[in-house]
Amino acid sequence: MCGGLALSAAFLAQGGQRGIPAADPQNANKPYDRHDLSGIWTRNGTPGGYGGGGTCRDCGDRGFGNDVPPFTPLGQKMFDANKPSYGRNLGSPDAAAHPEEHIGRRRAVPPSNGTDPYQYCNPMGPSRALIYPDPLEFIVLPDRIYQHFEWGYGLRTIWIDGRKPLMDPDLPRWWGYSAARWDGDTFVVTTTGVDERTWVDHFGYPHSVDMVLEERYRRTAYDVLELNMTITDPKVYTAPWKSQTKKFRRIEKGTIKTVDGWAGLLEDICAPADEVDQFNKRVRDPAGGVIR
Amino acid sequence: MRTSCFLVLTAGLILVGTPGFAHHGTGVSYDASKPVTLKGTVTEFRYANPHPQLYFDVTDEKGNVVHWSGEFYPNPAQLIQGGWGRKRSEAALPFGTKVTITLAPSRAGTPVGAILKLLNEKGEVLMGVAGGGPGEAPRGGAESGGPAVRP
Repeated sequence: MCGGLALSAAFLAQGGQRGIPAADPQNANKPYDRHDLSGIWTRNGTPGGYGGGGTCRDCGDRGFGNDVPPFTPLGQKMFDANKPSYGRNLGSPDAAAHPEEHIGRRRAVPPSNGTDPYQYCNPMGPSRALIYPDPLEFIVLPDRIYQHFEWGYGLRTIWIDGRKPLMDPDLPRWWGYSAARWDGDTFVVTTTGVDERTWVDHFGYPHSVDMVLEERYRRTAYDVLELNMTITDPKVYTAPWKSQTKKFRRIEKGTIKTVDGWAGLLEDICAPADEVDQFNKRVRDPAGGVIR
Repeated sequence: MRTSCFLVLTAGLILVGTPGFAHHGTGVSYDASKPVTLKGTVTEFRYANPHPQLYFDVTDEKGNVVHWSGEFYPNPAQLIQGGWGRKRSEAALPFGTKVTITLAPSRAGTPVGAILKLLNEKGEVLMGVAGGGPGEAPRGGAESGGPAVRP
């Protein structure tokens, strides 16, 4: 039995973004401590603030920033070697129609042909993880703050015990080495020693092991946290690279829960057993015309 | 598990520019402007990151069976928000289930696609995938359209 199904264009129609607002008017007058960063924060625009989808309104996009400084020769080489799967498709009319965007946002290739380390569940590194839309929880202890990321279920340590940033560490790490201090109401994190196999963001911008990443957090309302970042990496970029301002919205623990009602961050792990052995082999690669 | 299936139509819908729209960057692989609707029979369903996967057989007019695979745009965390946990999803898609699937096909021409809409024989929306496209927040089961959340 065969027949036709009409496909309505309506269901693909674009509408306004449905995500959560950056700040809930009901929270506007709630008291808060500018030095208290604890709790769950999200940039995710999906109702509830978690679970795939994109960023919330005015939270900034998923790139580090649009004002990319010129690369050094080495930086250009590293940039060219990275083949991301985000952004406008390489060589497409869509990409050609947006010459105002940096080429990093106009060179996406199918994941089967890309080089994104995260496609194999390798760690994202700090800047990319922070830009990812899904929630993270700040767990504040007397001498450190843990950032617990839902996507990847990763744990990053930021030391607040007075230590200085570790310059030229012996061994690079996926999360690097992070030390922080308060500058007035701004929480300033300095990170060094990040493994250069990580990308700055999902558009494949590179960095060297000598990168110094500065994060400046400001809590500007009960439920709004702003983040500005700067990358200083003379091996790769000819000038410091300032990020777009990213915003997070605070959500309560009970907002995130399983269908059983189990509240708290979801265990959103990128497991090679699922990602590499199943999804990549059986869907991702064939979709790109690649049979391994 | 043969099925009376057919390849139906490719409607020239236009999805407004969506740079890097998929959760895991897979949007590059598919052409959402040329959706295809198929009738098939489920052979396997996997509820896992980064995207749940549906494997199904489609029989063409000559009786040839083509093994298709499809990925859902929502990931499990997003499906959970729509009430589509693992048990409910697996109960809706056991081996042998007859489904009607609208998907964005692979640009490479392989039998792989990103699932835009999924209906069972009763016409019920499964997995909350009602055609909202990439970034769609899964619904509790009732079919409805609506704007997608843009990544």
